[in-house]
Parts: sequence; structure tokens; C-alpha cells
Amino acid sequence: MRLQGIGASDGIGIGTAVRFLEENLDFSNIVSAGTEAEKLRLQTAIQNFRDVTTDMAEQVRNKLGDKDAEILTGQLMMLEDPYLSAELNQTIEKGQCAEAAVYEILTNYANLFSSMEDSLMQQRATDVIDLRTRLLKTLLGKQDLDYSQLPHNCVLLLHELTPSIAVGLPIERVAAIVTEVGGRTSHAAILARSLQLPAVLGVSGVLHQVKDQETLVVDGTEGIVILSPEETVLQSYQEKLLHYRQELELLSVYRNRKTQDADGNCVTLLCNIGSVQEAQIAQENGAEGIGLFRTEFLFMDRASAPTEEEQYEAYAAVSNIFQGKEVIVRTLDIGGDKGIPYFHMDAEENPFLGYRAIRYCLDHTDLYKTQLRALLRASSRHHNLKIMVPFVTSIEELRSAKQLLNECKKELSAQNIPYDAEIPLGIMVETPAAVQIADLLAQEADFFSIGTNDLTQYTLAVDRGNPKVSNLYTPLHPAVLRSICSVVEAAQNAHIPVGMCGEAAADPRLVPLLLFWGLEEFSVSISSLLQIRKEIGTWKISQAAALTKTVMAMGNTHDIVTYLDTQLSSR
Amino acid sequence: MVSATTKIVNPMGMHMRPAQLFVNTASKFQSDITILYQGNRINAKSIMHLMAACLKQGSELEIECQGPDEAEALAQTVALIESGLGE
Repeated sequence: MRLQGIGASDGIGIGTAVRFLEENLDFSNIVSAGTEAEKLRLQTAIQNFRDVTTDMAEQVRNKLGDKDAEILTGQLMMLEDPYLSAELNQTIEKGQCAEAAVYEILTNYANLFSSMEDSLMQQRATDVIDLRTRLLKTLLGKQDLDYSQLPHNCVLLLHELTPSIAVGLPIERVAAIVTEVGGRTSHAAILARSLQLPAVLGVSGVLHQVKDQETLVVDGTEGIVILSPEETVLQSYQEKLLHYRQELELLSVYRNRKTQDADGNCVTLLCNIGSVQEAQIAQENGAEGIGLFRTEFLFMDRASAPTEEEQYEAYAAVSNIFQGKEVIVRTLDIGGDKGIPYFHMDAEENPFLGYRAIRYCLDHTDLYKTQLRALLRASSRHHNLKIMVPFVTSIEELRSAKQLLNECKKELSAQNIPYDAEIPLGIMVETPAAVQIADLLAQEADFFSIGTNDLTQYTLAVDRGNPKVSNLYTPLHPAVLRSICSVVEAAQNAHIPVGMCGEAAADPRLVPLLLFWGLEEFSVSISSLLQIRKEIGTWKISQAAALTKTVMAMGNTHDIVTYLDTQLSSR
Repeated sequence: MVSATTKIVNPMGMHMRPAQLFVNTASKFQSDITILYQGNRINAKSIMHLMAACLKQGSELEIECQGPDEAEALAQTVALIESGLGE
């Protein structure tokens, strides 16, 4: 049987199923053993909880950072609250058992918090409920998952992957993770990617469909879970896994190398990321900086927009990881297919042609300035941040963004808050309009980065999410290739740096063309990084020139694709 | 007993982290420390009550300290709120 979920962390895992079932926390059979006895039970449980949680917070801090640890330190703090202890004791004195006291009092607080208008308080309500669950488990003697009992090569099945579970995982024994809830941008997905574990999320009911000890194949790239696969299927996945590992092994020699073509000319190879954790992995995998930090991920899976302080911390952390190297941060790119519930954006007839990215931000200047201020502040230490404006279609948009940035600079100066006064402001070239006026934009932008995903979709008027036309979507269409070529040229004429951060930058077939045209920066996903570094190293400019001339003389996509495929496979 | 009025200046208001910081400071003192806000009396050493009070940026409040170290307690808690609660 095959189950489809959301492929949230690439790779293949094959192993035996271990289900982590939610514990039964029913305490209705427990009667109070007397006031003093119940108070003592509660005291002991709180002490145990405190010891375990203090350790856990320390580990989370080391592995995942302060932000995730805060949930746990907050829980410890709540338990130290003298009012809370008094209320718990009073409930026990009324003849209740310790479990009932914990349940009643913490439920009251959770309800109180969740009844408040403030969205951050909703989050606190969730924290209180988590505290209630964990404290009840301690009282009832239910263990958290015992990691020491996990067999080697297990596939872990969970309702949800939380930071407190992720931190204890013995990664060397876990082949993959499958959960019932969570999407590609969920906290769990980011955790799985940062642990580099193949993961399929959002497979509802999987805990009931899988038996313990059953053999599972998890394909985190495709989002598939196969239960008790037939011998032939299992074999083909084992080969795939082996191949995947060999490939990784072969590529690992490129980790610490420079990125240069066969003539020795260097280009810069950057990574696309969406979180601080990914920045860390990118760095460990040999990225020479960040070419695209998708900041909308900081805004997803939460109840309200991150504060200036929270954003500052994220940008400063990435800046710090890549000190001495550049970090290009794309300002909020929402709308289109990326909705954020708390922005209450109306449904649109044509969201991709609608109210999105810079258009939305220029109408919501408070939101935008909060982000710009956070970026400016985060730039003060290492001077390596660059700000990139998405979805630009006119020179006015660039000017408006620049004006807001200048306002923020003035405000910070007035408050004596330091920032990088020379912080570059560039644009993502991803609309046909920007391509057509690239020469004008290049006069006022500090850099260009070509976003080929949207550029291809808008140039070819193809929705790649629509299966009826998605076959028409390809960056190898002459119209897209000519656009890329002219944008690179416009940047060179104006002497500003130009890079590419769309998926096309990781397409080996495009590498020779981009090298010949003189693209300076390639920004790709972490999983393509070493592959592209290797690919770039195989091209002499003379060979790339000859190939590019032939391709650009061809009039249709089919010929171009066939030619490039033959050329690349015969090398 | 000593008291003073002050105002929350940090954008997040009295949320988890600022509240943790505030409770830690208040708990160093023997004095009883009470926040008076919109007719409610809030124990400044209780993180639950502080968060439940929903003190936001711009909220005006009074801090009341009573005990052997009341002067110092008042000075430090007011200074902390006015410095933006670590934000």
C-alpha cells in the first residue's frame, strides 16, 4: 500500500516502523490519597519535570537555538509561579488528586489566554496545554519516547514532530520520519531538513494504518510512504538509496573547493534558504554565502507577524554564520500561492497577477518598515547583508522601496542605533516588464538576481501548477533564454553584480550558457550545491561559447532540449 | 510603601520573554510588588498573572512595593520597564 503525504525533507529512508502513539492520559480512576500525599506527589512530579526540562532546554539551545528553547524555559518559569502553586495546592485541599488539580488549573489558564484577542496569547495557551500534557505524563508515570529502545534503521511515525522530540532523536538510528500533521513550511519540516532526515508530513491516519515492525519505504522527495513493499519495489528503492549515498560520497570532495570553471575563472556559488537552521546546513555544505533568504518563512505557521526583534535575530544570525560572505535577503514575498492567514488577504481571481510581494508591502508600510529596520540593524555588525525587492515591474516600485529604506535609516540614526549605511538594495528580476526595462533598473538598483521560476511562468504565460499546460513550462524556451541573456548584459553595462536564484541555476543544461554570458553568482538549494560546483568545473569557456551560439541560433524549445541533452550526456 | 507610575514602551508588551525577565527581577526582592492596572492588582512575581493582564505597549500602570527593600525594588522594576524589558 502507498500513502501520499507532503515531501518535506529530501532523501530516501528504508526501515522498520516504530509508532509513537499519544499516551492515554485518563486519570478518572485515580482517587485522592489524602491532601498531604497528593501535595507530595505533585511536588515530586514537578521536581522531576524540572530536572528533565532543564536538561532538554539546554540541548535544544545547543542544537536548535534560543528561540526553540524558550518554550521550555517558559514552562519552567510558569511552574515556579507562586500563585500557580498556591492554586494547585488549594485544589488538592478540596479533595482532588494531583492530576485533577493540574488539569483543572492549567486548563483555566489556557482558556483565559486563548480568550484574549492578542494572537501571541493564543500561542501561550498552546504552551500551557503542552505543559499540562507533559506534567500529567510525569504524574501518571508515562514515559516520553524511550530513545534507547529504538532499533537501528527505524522509521519513526508520529502525530507531530515537536522541538522537544526532535532534540532527543538519535539521528544515527532513524532512517526517516513520517507525521500525521505538518506542511512543507511547518516548523517540523524545517526541523527535519535541518537534521537532514528524509521526511513525509501530513499523512493523516498513518499511525492507524501502519503496524509496528512493518517495513516501510519513505521517499521524502516525492512525499510517498510505501507499506510492506513487494520485493521488486523494495529492491529498486534500495538501489536508489545506494546510488544516492554513492553520489553524495563522490560529491563530498567538492565541499571545501572553490567554484571555478575548467579555465580557472571563479564564480560564486550561493544557497537558497528559508531559515536560520538551513543557513547553518548550507554553511556546513560549502555554500559561499546566501543568494536568496526567503523571509516569508519567518511569517508562516504562526498567529501573527514576527516582531522587529524576532526578525532582527534571524537576520543577524544568518549574517553571523556567513560573516565575510554575502547574504541576500528577499523582503516579504507573499500573495500569489503564498497566503498568510493573519494578513487576511482577499481571494483573488488571478492571484499571480494580483496583490502580492512588493505591491502589498508598499501598501502596508508599517509591516515593510519593520522588516527594513530589522534588516538594517542586523547589518551593523558584519556589513554583509543585501536587501532584495521581489516582483518589481517598474522603476517607481524600486524608488518607493528605496525611500522607505532611507526613512528607516533616518529613524535609526536619530535613535543612535547602528546600521550599515551602504547596505545594497537590489531587485529580483522575475517579470517580463523588469526584463524590458533592465537597463533603466540597473541605473538605480545595486544588484540583480534573476528569479527564473516566476520569469518563466510570466514570460511563457504558463501556470506550472496546472497539469494541462505545465509541459509548456521550461526555462529552455528561447524567449526565457533571451530574457536571461539581456538581463545579464544590462547588469554588466551598468557594472552591477548579477546572479540567478531560480531553479534554473541548478539545471546542468543551463550552466554553460550562464557561464558564457558571464553570470557571476549561482544560487541553488542545498541539495544541488555540490552537483553544480562539480558541473561548473567541467566547462571551458571556449566550449561553453560554441554550445551557447548553437543553442541561441535555434528557434524552438524542442530542438534546444534535444541538443543540450545529447551534448551533456556525451561528455 | 512606595509607588510610581510608568508606561510599557517595548513593542511586544508584557509577553513571555519580557515577563520572564520582569519576574526574575521582581523575585530578587523580599518586598511585595504589585502592579495596578485598569483596577486590577497583579502580583509582579507571578508570570501567569502578568501575562494574563495583557499589558501592551503604551499601557500605563502603577507599581507598588512594600517591604524591607521597597525603595530599591521600585527603582529597579520601573527602570526595567522603562528600558524596554530587554527588547
